[in-house]
Amino acid sequence: MFSESVLRLLTEDLLVRVLEKLGSDADRKSWRLVCKEFLRIESLTRRKVRILRIEFLLGLLQTYCNIETLDLSVCPRIDDGAVSVMLSHGSLNWTKGLRRLVLCRATGLGYRGLGQLIRACPLLEAVDVSHCWVFGDREAAALSYATRLKELKMDKCLGVTDVGLASIAVGCSNLKSLSLKWCFEISNLGIDLLCKKCLDLEILDISYLKLTSESLKSIASLSKLEMLVMVGCSFVDDVGLRFLEKGCPHLKAIDVSRCDFVSSSALTSLVSGRSSLLQIDARYCFLELSFPLVECLKNLQNLTVIRIDAVQVSDLALQIIGTSCKSLLEIGLSKCIGVTNMGIMQLVSGCGKLKILNLTCCRFITDVAISAIAESCPHLICLMLESCDMVTEKSFYDLGSRCLLLEELDLTECSGINDRALKYLSRCSGLLTLKLGLCTNISDVGLAYIGCNFPKLAEIDLYRCVCIGDDGLAALASGCKELIKLNVSYCNRITDRGMEYISYLGELSELEMRGLVNITGMGISKVAVNCRRLADLDLKHCEKIGDPGCWAIAFYAHNLRQINLSYCAVSDVVLYLLMGKLKRLQEVKLVNVSEATVRGLELGLRASCGRIKKVKLQTSLSLLLSSEILDMLHLRGCKIRWD
Amino acid sequence: MPPQNHQVQAKASPNSPSLPDFIMQHSNQQRCEDPSMSDYGIRMETLFKECNQACGTKSLLPCGSNDGIKIPNQENCQMGDTSQTGKLQDWDPSIMLENLSFLEDKIHQIRGLLHLIANKKGQQLGQPDEIITQEKQLITANLTSIIVQLISTAGSLLPSVKLAASNTSPSVGQHGQIPGITFPSGLGPSSSSIQPQHDIRDKISDQSNQIDLTNMCEMEQNHMEEHELKDEEDGDEGENLPPGSFEILQLEKEEILAPHTHFCTICGKGFKRDANLRMHMRGHGDEYKTPEALAKPNKESESEPKLIKRYSCPYPGCKRNKDHKKFQPLKTILCVKNHYKRTHCDKSYICSRCHTKKFSVMADLKTHEKHCGKDKWLCSCGTTFSRKDKLFGHIALFQGHTPAIPLDESKAPVGQADMEITENNNNNNNNKGGSINLSFGSNASSCENGIQNMMNVKGITDDPISYLSSLNFETCNFGEFNDFPRPPFEDTTKGSFPFLMSESFNYSPKCGGESCPNNLL
Repeated sequence: MFSESVLRLLTEDLLVRVLEKLGSDADRKSWRLVCKEFLRIESLTRRKVRILRIEFLLGLLQTYCNIETLDLSVCPRIDDGAVSVMLSHGSLNWTKGLRRLVLCRATGLGYRGLGQLIRACPLLEAVDVSHCWVFGDREAAALSYATRLKELKMDKCLGVTDVGLASIAVGCSNLKSLSLKWCFEISNLGIDLLCKKCLDLEILDISYLKLTSESLKSIASLSKLEMLVMVGCSFVDDVGLRFLEKGCPHLKAIDVSRCDFVSSSALTSLVSGRSSLLQIDARYCFLELSFPLVECLKNLQNLTVIRIDAVQVSDLALQIIGTSCKSLLEIGLSKCIGVTNMGIMQLVSGCGKLKILNLTCCRFITDVAISAIAESCPHLICLMLESCDMVTEKSFYDLGSRCLLLEELDLTECSGINDRALKYLSRCSGLLTLKLGLCTNISDVGLAYIGCNFPKLAEIDLYRCVCIGDDGLAALASGCKELIKLNVSYCNRITDRGMEYISYLGELSELEMRGLVNITGMGISKVAVNCRRLADLDLKHCEKIGDPGCWAIAFYAHNLRQINLSYCAVSDVVLYLLMGKLKRLQEVKLVNVSEATVRGLELGLRASCGRIKKVKLQTSLSLLLSSEILDMLHLRGCKIRWD
Repeated sequence: MPPQNHQVQAKASPNSPSLPDFIMQHSNQQRCEDPSMSDYGIRMETLFKECNQACGTKSLLPCGSNDGIKIPNQENCQMGDTSQTGKLQDWDPSIMLENLSFLEDKIHQIRGLLHLIANKKGQQLGQPDEIITQEKQLITANLTSIIVQLISTAGSLLPSVKLAASNTSPSVGQHGQIPGITFPSGLGPSSSSIQPQHDIRDKISDQSNQIDLTNMCEMEQNHMEEHELKDEEDGDEGENLPPGSFEILQLEKEEILAPHTHFCTICGKGFKRDANLRMHMRGHGDEYKTPEALAKPNKESESEPKLIKRYSCPYPGCKRNKDHKKFQPLKTILCVKNHYKRTHCDKSYICSRCHTKKFSVMADLKTHEKHCGKDKWLCSCGTTFSRKDKLFGHIALFQGHTPAIPLDESKAPVGQADMEITENNNNNNNNKGGSINLSFGSNASSCENGIQNMMNVKGITDDPISYLSSLNFETCNFGEFNDFPRPPFEDTTKGSFPFLMSESFNYSPKCGGESCPNNLL
């Protein structure tokens, strides 16, 4: 009776509005379970589908016919056959409105399937085929059927050459954003043609390509370009930057990180006078932050992001940046030489809006600097202090009392961190990520503080926090219910009891627990049974887990996408079962799996062939495994890494 | 100094063009302390002198002494001396030795120079760019000349190489450098297009090899023919002669298409060139072997200023026809021939490789056949290119054209592998009994069924028990399970996997294990 009246009051459009307010997946899942009407509303309004298993693909596509985004990146066995089934069964309503297609790591897909899929979706605007390392020019040609394409990401499509890029440039002339990172085969010729055909390009990523300054000459002709990322273009030199200086009037962001032959003076003349510039990345680029560059930063009042990792800086330079670039939101000084307390104090005194500050490996800063940061930057969201040994708990008193918006804190290897420091942080209740790797002074007490104070915590790294034990995990698991990522590697005190506590974390999807020698099959089976979302499991050197633990994983952890079983004792049959049963498994590391024979490994690989994308094996096996199975894996888009 | 040595000296200088400059510019930096560098040029000169002398004395030519040599004569003499060429081709070890020691010296010099540069780099880093580039140029020039000399030395040693060398560039070496040599027309333009290295190379080898030129006569003849045929008809495109400043000749169609224009008055054999006819005539008697008979007729008159000759195409309405409004004359008879054949004749020569391309000029066909099949850069419009940048230039120019990717490249291996896989699949099923969804095969059709089966699996819920059934373990023969260490399973799993034992696996051997996969163990 009650539900009827509710439904009468809530018309469809009202329900839609209510649904729009629901953010998290879990909430939407609850919504779906209310009643059929709610389910219908949800399926009608849903815009994005991320398919986890191929069994559900057809059904989900029929249910969610109004989707704009289809994400197949974590779905195994996406190949030409799957695509033709997808397109030949049921109604194709879902293709009508599809605008975004994520095919990241879909290495099983070939040009035929890709072409079919692309042609079936007339409104396609964005495609992501990054890390499809088998992709070549044919696949690129298939992509070029998407004439309305605005955004294309093809990082690490290793086979794509200038010819493929030319097809895309001609076919998709409306491209606004293109990423060609690690497409090593592309040369100046291809880039030149791209710049002649795709005049609307706004974002271009040419990182790690073997391009020379000649390419920058072509790129400079792109009048709408706003962002140019050219990390690790080690053949580009100052001549190229000079070309750029004359072109690209709307440039807002430039990244010249790891460009070994780009000098500070060339960057200076590029950025000077461009008051519209918002972002400068020059990490691992020059030895020293030269004075002229600092001087020209003075004129960039709108600059929001500057990252100059591994550069020698002076207090004066930092002071000038701090006083002139008032709108800075992010500063990256990771591994910079010459960062002092004084420098940091002068830097932050002017940057009241600062949200992200990276001081990784700035070893000479102490509590004084952190206090100054806490005082001047109340909006700080992310602070990275890895290896800042001289920072003590006093800093955290200041941070905990002033920077209440903190969401991410990296304290890896800060030996000054102890339980009390974590207590001081208690008011930062919005903390999402906390990295405490190698903080050996943290004990169960500290974990208890964490469990009590950070209910939203999604990621915690306790790598080699050797003092923590089962009780700490109990406290953590009881408080941080939202935990998604947990690293307890080499915390040797943890036993099966601790694993039971971990198994209470229902959202957990990544668990790294290397070298936990006390864990047996019992402990891991609890995690496998209860942590339904577990996708990434690292069991390297967990020697006692053995067959029983892997049985449990094979039968329960069916959302597992990555597993590391190196140096574990797993027998042939269990390995075979594991590889065969885990339908979502994409990446396996099987270095020195004791008790498994070569034949067993072969059988396991055969069982998972088609789904598996990456395997790591010890080098000695390269000669023992039959070439036929290696060929087959290669053919199905699986990459083997030899350790 | 005898004239010939003058020539040699003149020829030697391009050997190291940047050297004098270099010395001049760097003398103030005390970079010329190395004495071997300052006498570089002199050494070169003397060497060539020696070389020439050796050649001169060695050759058994009638015109023995150096200063007596007149180049045209020399050539004539050579031509008369065909009988001796066999002997003359032999090489002289002493010359070789000298060449080699010269090369050795030169390498030493470069080494010293590099040492110097390296040391200096260590001392002062901020060197002006131009000095560095000059140094580079010097080094490369020296190295190039060494390479060239080495090749020529080797060339005079190996008969096959020599043959090839003299085959490719004899006319150039002689023609371009030695003034006064009378060669048939049509060769002139080609010499300029040949790289200067040829000149250098020929210096040594030619001196010793000139003699066997006569031997090459026939070969050269062919060579010349080819050369001539390839001459471009449109070579005069940019020419702007005022009307009336040239004489227009128009050959008739029959004349143009006639294969030969020069006929032997004795035997009637036809030739394309008078020079070839003159060569031919030598066979008809000694009277044709005199220098006068072999010399180019009307040679003197060439020096007089003459009205330039231009040619008109006999085809009415052609732009190359003199009656055309925008008449563009053709430069030579050869141009006329090629133009007429290309534009107004049937294309009767068909490429034997692709059987599609047709040509009316034999040389065009030959040029095409050289590259036919090598044009791997293909545009969607069907045009092929031998170079990638040309294709990209074409694509940049035309709207909608894209590079075409040949289809049959990677198909074959895939298919092959497919077969293998299915085979293995069968083996798998037969031998091992493991049927974990081994639907391999990467072509869509064979794959589809497997996928279809997989995707149509309904009712798979999160219930692990029902999930197990999807694996078809009923068909698995895990008969040998007895052989696995059972106790640990039973010990640890009893509590947590009761159903596992009952549902998914029959621990008791189902079938005695006749198809027992030994490899599992």
